[in-house]
Amino acid sequence: MESITQERPATPAPVRSEPAPDSSPALIPKTGGRRKWFTHWSIERRVLAGFGLVFAGIVVISAISYRNTSVLIENSRLDTKSNELVQLLGSVGEALGGAESGHRRYLVTGDESYLRSYRTVVEQMPEYLRYLRGLTSEEAEQQARVATLEQLIARQLGAEAEAIAQRELHGYEAVRHLALSGAAKNELEGINRLMTELDSAEQRALHARVVQSAGSTRNTIALLGLGALLQLVLLASVYFLIHHDVTERRRVATELQSRGELLQAANKELEAFSYSVSHDLRAPLRHIDGYAALLSKAAGEALNDKARRYLQTISDSAKQMGQLIDDLIVFSRMGRQDMLRTTVNLDQLVKTVLHDLRLDLQGRTISWTMHPLPNVSGDPAMLRQVFLNLISNALKFTATRPETKIEIGALRRNPGEAEVFVRDNGVGFDMQYVHKLFGVFQRLHRNDEFEGTGIGLANVRRIIHRHGGKTWAEGAPDQGATFYFSLPLARSLR
Amino acid sequence: MTTVKPIVLAEDNPRDAELALAAMEEHHIADKVVVCHDGAEVLDYLYCRGVFASRQQGNPVVVFLDLKMPKVDGLEVLKTIKNDVNLKPIPVVMLTSSREERDLAQSYALGANAYVVKPVEFHQFITAVKELGVFWGVINEPPPEGSDLIDSLITKDL
Repeated sequence: MESITQERPATPAPVRSEPAPDSSPALIPKTGGRRKWFTHWSIERRVLAGFGLVFAGIVVISAISYRNTSVLIENSRLDTKSNELVQLLGSVGEALGGAESGHRRYLVTGDESYLRSYRTVVEQMPEYLRYLRGLTSEEAEQQARVATLEQLIARQLGAEAEAIAQRELHGYEAVRHLALSGAAKNELEGINRLMTELDSAEQRALHARVVQSAGSTRNTIALLGLGALLQLVLLASVYFLIHHDVTERRRVATELQSRGELLQAANKELEAFSYSVSHDLRAPLRHIDGYAALLSKAAGEALNDKARRYLQTISDSAKQMGQLIDDLIVFSRMGRQDMLRTTVNLDQLVKTVLHDLRLDLQGRTISWTMHPLPNVSGDPAMLRQVFLNLISNALKFTATRPETKIEIGALRRNPGEAEVFVRDNGVGFDMQYVHKLFGVFQRLHRNDEFEGTGIGLANVRRIIHRHGGKTWAEGAPDQGATFYFSLPLARSLR
Repeated sequence: MTTVKPIVLAEDNPRDAELALAAMEEHHIADKVVVCHDGAEVLDYLYCRGVFASRQQGNPVVVFLDLKMPKVDGLEVLKTIKNDVNLKPIPVVMLTSSREERDLAQSYALGANAYVVKPVEFHQFITAVKELGVFWGVINEPPPEGSDLIDSLITKDL
């Protein structure tokens, strides 16, 4: 027994340390609510939330990276186009320049060979222009320039063609003034100006795109870096959560195991104790009663009434203590005995209890009111003890009444549960002592009023608690008492 | 022959023994009672050795056994009796303070013929002991002493 009492102080220690997390919201009132809400979440929800955030982060970062990469690809396509355009512009300028100088040489010399390059340019020009239109199809401004350029080129080539025709028909003199300055001097200037505009506009676009691409690449890199960091932080916190939880669980499991072992040891000791009580405590009582009886017999007539009463008191006390020990052993057994779980027919059970009590019922006028009772789930022997104690109590505390009324019934106010009551019209009790009714050795009546050891109702409570039920009572002095207990219904009735 | 068959009472507590004898006194069977104070003494008696080496041969009419005894406890004595071909027929009554289910179950498993819980109340105790003494010592017909019939029956059984 000593080891049990020594172990006890260790038990409240972890309980005392528990309120610590609860006090923190009070210190930080602003975030307290959110904190409470978060700590209220189960570990599964927290881990899920963490992984959810990581997943959402990955989706957002992927989307932004995808967009940035698409911009880069698009820019590089446009860059290719721009470069081609710049090159094409150079070729067009060169070709037009060649055609112009060729036609002028012809105008001066009349040598047909100078017209070869001019004719090549005239032949190639529609192709060049189509290509040009294609390359500028996405830029309205550049397109407008290309359209004007086409007109100017057409006019230049037209003017040159006209000059060549004049030379063929009327000879050098007719085109002399043209031969010096060229047939399409104005157009050529316009063409050159436009070509420069086209070129510089394309260069500007190229530059802008280079800036944009560089920016977007920088953004993507920064975002990926930040995202990776965030994911790391989130994953680390999820890991921490899980790790914390697992460690905690492991700790609790170890503690549970060690407590279970302690409990088992304590139970073993208790069993040995109760065995010893049942065996050894009885013997001296038997001797007290036995020798008192032998003394009374041996002294016989020599004893006066007073001495005889003393001897009687000695043996009455011994008997009472014997009863007390018996009741305590039953009480202790009800606490540690393995419990059965079967369907119990309470109607049948009450009948057998009344049969067992038939000797106590003799010579009593009792009006019974028996309501049908449901089948419950429980240990038949233990529940028999409950009814035995409650009905014996009812009989005991109605003994002074001319007519005893006992009512047994059940209420079904909560699903899956039956509330059984035993009501009597006995001496009742004051509700201010109701909390003492179910305690061990608690009695509300003097022993010379009603006999008893004060264990019966404690036993009832212990059995009902082991069944997962509750016990309570109602009463008033001289108005009778009602004892209630709840039990889980049999599975078929749920 | 019928008058001298003894009753063995194994009881380590002298007060309990005295009370039991007082109870049997009322029915004049106390003189037949042999009181043993522990399990070893019971076995000495049954096997006629030690202080009982010179006793008259023959099995007692009944053995009352307390469970908790020094040296050799009641269950061990019971086991020895029921495992010995010659002692097996002796009726054994457990007479104890223990109401523990474990003791009950073990006693019957080992072949006890009866199990009686000593009542605290003296009158009940007297009645119980008296009735036990009268039943086993007077009313019950003991097995035929040392006859070959039992041996042959037992060996046949085996």
